Amino acid sequence: MSPTATTAVLPDLARRDDAAYLDFVEGFREYILGKGADFEDRLDAQARAEAGRRGQAWTDLEELRAYLQRFPLTRMRDRLVRTQQEMKWHRLARSYSDRRMELEAELARWDHQGPGKLLLDPAFKVPDYANVEFHLQPGGYYHDALSGFLYHYGTKVFFRGGNDQDELHGALVGRVPPPADGRVRRVLDMACSVGQSSTAFKRRYPQAEVTGIDYAAPMLRVAHRRAAMAGLDVTFAQRLVEKTGFPDAHFDITFAFIVFHELPVRIIQETVREAARVTRPGGRFIVYDFTESAIKSPYQLYHRWFDARHNGEPYSQDFCDCNLDAVLASNGFVVDADVEAQRSGGAGYMKHWFATRA
Amino acid sequence: MPEIASAPQTPEGGTPIVGPDPIYLRDPLLDATVRMVVELTAQLWVERERRIALEARLTEAGVLPAAGAADHWQPSAELAARIKQERDRLVDDVFKELRRIPATAVSQD
Repeated sequence: MSPTATTAVLPDLARRDDAAYLDFVEGFREYILGKGADFEDRLDAQARAEAGRRGQAWTDLEELRAYLQRFPLTRMRDRLVRTQQEMKWHRLARSYSDRRMELEAELARWDHQGPGKLLLDPAFKVPDYANVEFHLQPGGYYHDALSGFLYHYGTKVFFRGGNDQDELHGALVGRVPPPADGRVRRVLDMACSVGQSSTAFKRRYPQAEVTGIDYAAPMLRVAHRRAAMAGLDVTFAQRLVEKTGFPDAHFDITFAFIVFHELPVRIIQETVREAARVTRPGGRFIVYDFTESAIKSPYQLYHRWFDARHNGEPYSQDFCDCNLDAVLASNGFVVDADVEAQRSGGAGYMKHWFATRA
Repeated sequence: MPEIASAPQTPEGGTPIVGPDPIYLRDPLLDATVRMVVELTAQLWVERERRIALEARLTEAGVLPAAGAADHWQPSAELAARIKQERDRLVDDVFKELRRIPATAVSQD
């Protein structure tokens, strides 16, 4: 394999065939979750019609699940959604494992190379709640030295090539309203994974001190490598979002991109409390995550349940039911009323919370 | 329909995660068959994509590429778009049957 293949921001897979295979998975995923197989519209129509016959909306998730799973169409959908995810990880893990030695050496080469810093804690203990294979990723976020590369390529498939240059993260960070006084000296990216939001913040606020934190060392190593390769001075540190260790009122913007749905409710509450502590008065706390159950369509409710149970998202259902608005308010945040509800590929799955520290 | 029983794997509350190899189609043979069909289609696509790449390369260069050369070859933007189109067509050729499953059908069991 040529040095170019190893030193690319997202390293090449071992073989062209692996890339073609994952390209198939990307297209197949789009087909079964989009208009190709047309599962969503048809099943949602069924569920809505049934709710109409019953004269009440779906409030009991177990009833909705039992109703929809009567249909072979639902079960085929479930089979295929699970299958494409298994196929993706199997091929991806095998391909990068075939290049393991050179990829691990590549990571080590960047660990102490700037700009920016990588601060790993040899005594760090990853909390038990994190011991999950989120999205079925083999080894989860921290059990494999290559977890960061696996995650990054996995999201490439997930975003159907639309985020190869961090376009999504750039757009989301671009929408973040700065504090009213315009002062942005320090930014915290909570659970930064491979650092795509962190680098987007550094590009938007070059003078600011940007810090990304995460519990997963393999993610942080890839985050640091990506930032350093781009010439961006960002600090990546192994810390917990619920106990960051930063001083009070330290940050002007605190950012949490698709983090909360991967935390137990207890930790969500602790993390919001921590965000309130480290965000200065007038500072912004920005959350981007799943929409709450109350505004989901019947199909979306079902999909959330399926994703939780069958796609390694055990905390996501509780997050969607936890009333984040109330948690934010009880910790001294004022949430903007005009939240943006949006989703790539359709409406209703994701939303922003733009909050200000009172 | 009861789910296939599996031990909860969730470390701290939340929705219990199913174990490996859950059954969705009530008959493990059906699940295996569907998985094999999707896998075969993926494998077919890998071969087809390589053929497209090789044909284009041969056309461009007028010679057979050295072994492994295609692994580093990148298609032009135009060809990349055509490859995506071919891929989507293959997916639809094989899986258009999904649209024939009536949404209203209910299993007899």
